[in-house]
Amino acid sequence: MDNVVLGVVIVGSIGAIWVVLPRIGALALWRRWRDDRERHLAEDALKFIHAREWRGGRPATLEGLAGALGLPSRRVVFLAKRLETRGLIRSAAGGFRLTIEGERLALSVIRAHRLWERFLVDEARMPLADVHAEAERREHDADAAKLDALETLLGHPTVDPHGDPIPTGRGELARVESRPLTDWPTGQPAQIVHLEDEPPALFAQIAAEGLRPGQIVRVVEATPERLTLSDGGKTFALAPVLAANIFVAEAPAAGETVSRRLTALRRGETALVGALDQGLQGFTRRRLLDLGLTPGARITAELPSMLGDPVAYRVRGTLIALRRDQAEQVLINEAEPASQGV
Amino acid sequence: MTEDCATCPANASLAQMGVDVSNFDYLIALAGNPNTGKSTVFNALTGLRQHTGNWPGKTVTRAEGGYQFQNKRYKLVDLPGTYSLLSASQDEEIARNFILFGQPDCTVVVNDATCLERNLNLVLQVLEITDRAVVVVNLMDEARRKDIAVDVRALARELGVPVVAAAARSGEGLGDILAAVRDVVTGQASVQPKRVQAHPALESAIRDLLPLIEQAAPGLPNPRWVALRLLDGDLRIRQALLSGELSEIAARQRQAVRGFSRKIALQGAQ
Amino acid sequence: MTNNATPAERLLAQADLLRQALPGDFRDTLVQTLYHEAESMAEKAVQQGGRKRWDWDSTVDRLLTSPIFGLPLMLAILSLIFWLTIAGANVPSAMLAEGFFWVEAQGVALFTSLGIPWWITGFLWDGVFRGLGWVISVMLPPMAIFFPLFTFLEDLGYLPRVAFNMDWLFKKAGAHGKQSLTMAMGFGCNAAGIIATRVIDSPRERLIAILTNNFVPCNGRFPTLIMLATVFVAASFPPALTSVIAAGSVVTVVVIGIIFTLVISGVLSRTVLRGEASAFSLELPPFRRPNLRQILYTSLIDRTIFVLWRAIQTAAPAGAAIWLLANIYVGDTSLAWHVANALQPLGNLVGLDGVILLAYIIAIPANEIVVPTMMMMYLGVGMMTDMPAYSEMHTMLVGQYGWTTLTAVNLMLFSLLHNPCATTIMTMWKETRSLKWTTLGALGPLVIAFAVTFLVAVVARAFGLG
Repeated sequence: MDNVVLGVVIVGSIGAIWVVLPRIGALALWRRWRDDRERHLAEDALKFIHAREWRGGRPATLEGLAGALGLPSRRVVFLAKRLETRGLIRSAAGGFRLTIEGERLALSVIRAHRLWERFLVDEARMPLADVHAEAERREHDADAAKLDALETLLGHPTVDPHGDPIPTGRGELARVESRPLTDWPTGQPAQIVHLEDEPPALFAQIAAEGLRPGQIVRVVEATPERLTLSDGGKTFALAPVLAANIFVAEAPAAGETVSRRLTALRRGETALVGALDQGLQGFTRRRLLDLGLTPGARITAELPSMLGDPVAYRVRGTLIALRRDQAEQVLINEAEPASQGV
Repeated sequence: MTEDCATCPANASLAQMGVDVSNFDYLIALAGNPNTGKSTVFNALTGLRQHTGNWPGKTVTRAEGGYQFQNKRYKLVDLPGTYSLLSASQDEEIARNFILFGQPDCTVVVNDATCLERNLNLVLQVLEITDRAVVVVNLMDEARRKDIAVDVRALARELGVPVVAAAARSGEGLGDILAAVRDVVTGQASVQPKRVQAHPALESAIRDLLPLIEQAAPGLPNPRWVALRLLDGDLRIRQALLSGELSEIAARQRQAVRGFSRKIALQGAQ
Repeated sequence: MTNNATPAERLLAQADLLRQALPGDFRDTLVQTLYHEAESMAEKAVQQGGRKRWDWDSTVDRLLTSPIFGLPLMLAILSLIFWLTIAGANVPSAMLAEGFFWVEAQGVALFTSLGIPWWITGFLWDGVFRGLGWVISVMLPPMAIFFPLFTFLEDLGYLPRVAFNMDWLFKKAGAHGKQSLTMAMGFGCNAAGIIATRVIDSPRERLIAILTNNFVPCNGRFPTLIMLATVFVAASFPPALTSVIAAGSVVTVVVIGIIFTLVISGVLSRTVLRGEASAFSLELPPFRRPNLRQILYTSLIDRTIFVLWRAIQTAAPAGAAIWLLANIYVGDTSLAWHVANALQPLGNLVGLDGVILLAYIIAIPANEIVVPTMMMMYLGVGMMTDMPAYSEMHTMLVGQYGWTTLTAVNLMLFSLLHNPCATTIMTMWKETRSLKWTTLGALGPLVIAFAVTFLVAVVARAFGLG
């Protein structure tokens, strides 16, 4: 009997000590978890308010915030109060606005988010449709030094895989003028500058179509039911809901002539490399350039393999095999016929 | 590195790279694209039979060997074959770091005569880092078979460094390589390497950085290249700058020049 | 910038500022400028003559990488190499073995006449020396044929073509096309194959290549496969066909290994190593006429002698260990048979036997000695002074030890799939620096080997075979 009591006492006191232990105790862990959650919520709120301000128009409202964060408005009121006392937001006509400090914090979270997206697409080769959710998880560990190292590793990208500019370390965010594709006149070439990644279901559909920022497209036909696009080679049929989530701007003049992709080159045909797709970034882009796929280089499709993937191309005197996914991202121009077959 | 000195800073950093520092007068690096017969050149010069098959990336470890020429001992280090030094894959990093931090007395760049255009891209990049280089146009036999003629003298004029034609497989041109390397390490060959003009915006950014580089690491032999790397955001070079590694290279470089002129002065007195 | 910044820090800050002002594609333009310059230099220095001879390389290339003939040709080349190896190694192997056992007999006779105790004689001659003799006579001839042939293909530039032909399979498995290059290296030695995975830039795909390299039978395992193929599979065919059938079965085992590599790679890249196939670019270097002297030198000195030396180093102590196990008696059974009997139920479950499992335990340092260990156990040390011919071996294993075709098939499968040798495990550790992956790489194949042989045994027995 005494043994049992002693046992209970020992176990109980060990448990009690663990609960109150400074850094690894249950209380401390719980507190850290709660603080992290609070911080993540606060950062998400700042991001949301920033997004509203960035697009112009009405400031973020309490209801909007509650919807975006998925919280009851009672808790949002509490959260907003805390942000206000910390000097991050201030109440304005009909909603909230960021203070200078609040904007700085919001931008650093956005910077983390977009850099991680870039990393996940370029280096970890995650499908474009999945990176947003993963970046949401990673963005809150925004240690400035770590982010700088990440940025350097990625080769100082300026836009994320959706086409949005990445804020600089000093908190500058470039503005890209764009319009939804639904507002774009038919027949005029447009460059995709941004793909809206919320809601994820719509974005996944856009990504599955193979549309990427940097791509140059033309609206061929617009009806209330359907928007037909062409990138010169492929045509895309989109529901207007999807098209409204694709933002475009004036296409650069030179971009218009480049329309075919390397995959269109048949065996024995020669073309000139036009450019590498803007969707191709990071290590792979550098590698292809180093292999000599620079604009103007002659490229000949020489050996197809089984099922036509990969294909070996001759570039600058060497046979280089590329998988279809990479060849798809090399844009080509017609070679002048006179020098064909060298 | 004309005297044996295992504790000199130069040799200490070589030892870090795993290079045996004893018993050689000159350190030679062997660079080049994959499949240019680089290993054949290495084997022909050192008498070693390092085997590497005909597939890309096979030199995964660095080979070393030595040879003696006119009473001087040369240590030859075979670097991984790469197309470029820019994209910073593992093998490119090894090659780049050795040429930069290993401070070889001469870098021999081996080229395939049948696709010179691709190979010269690497030569130009090496020449941005160092001016003590010899360019070997290898596989001349293969080129003749394909009815390709290479004018090495024109190439030497263009590049500003010695260019040697060779067919290492049959031993053709090996003597010329040895002589050219000797001329470069002893300073008898005049080297005026070709430096490629970047496009105007980049060129002006480089010009802006040059004075700052001169302040941070005075006397650096390749400030233009360092400026480019910094603009590209190269982590390793940033580190080397902050840790003082780069200024050390500059200091060593000055020492070498002084030692060298002393030698000439002594020779002149005899 | 602040005043107390060092010149280096000021420089870096300035570089960062300037970079932001540069156009976003300045890296592209930089490479373009370099290539442009290289182009114009090459134009000045190079003259392409009009004389065009028959271009053998591109014709050969078109054939070897042909969408239709590429893979069949690859299998044909593989079969030819194995056939040459098996057919060519048979006679020299037997001659070497004869020579070694003659020396052993002389040695034993000499020691006995000198009055040296039986256990010293037994330990040195029947243990250490016999282990050596076995390994050299079983391994040297096949290696001396296989390695030069393989090196010839390697120097010719055939391996990248194989990678090119097989890439679509690896892409489906979410793996890198260069994995086949590392597998080709694995034929020589799995440790070398694992080092060769450095050519794969993506860490995820490199790990897959490391973990699955074991499914390529290395040179240490070929003797086992060749012996089983010759003794069991080919035995029921007319003698003229023996080496052809044997080569065919070895190729079948290799193909099964490739299938396992692809399936396991696919499973890995859909579970623990999830991800898409990364960017892939592979150079197909021009064919080069291999230098025969160089091939002979490297394949014989660098590879054959190197691998053989490693085998000898492990064979001698292993031979000694087996002799001790076989000659230390507890009760009226030797220690070796105690262990073998204990392992018998497990062995039986997977269609093997206790002796085979014991042999695999002893052979962890090097797979080369599996067959010698088994043979020594079965023969009983000291009972025979001659290596049995392949036909006698068949009679003995089937008649005395109850081997069936199932045993042979499962032993081939086990040999293909089981855990890597100690050197390979060490290399995995060196290359990954991760206990987790090394453990998975070491134990995963063992689990697979047991599972596969168990399933085969169950199915075979259900059909009344074995």
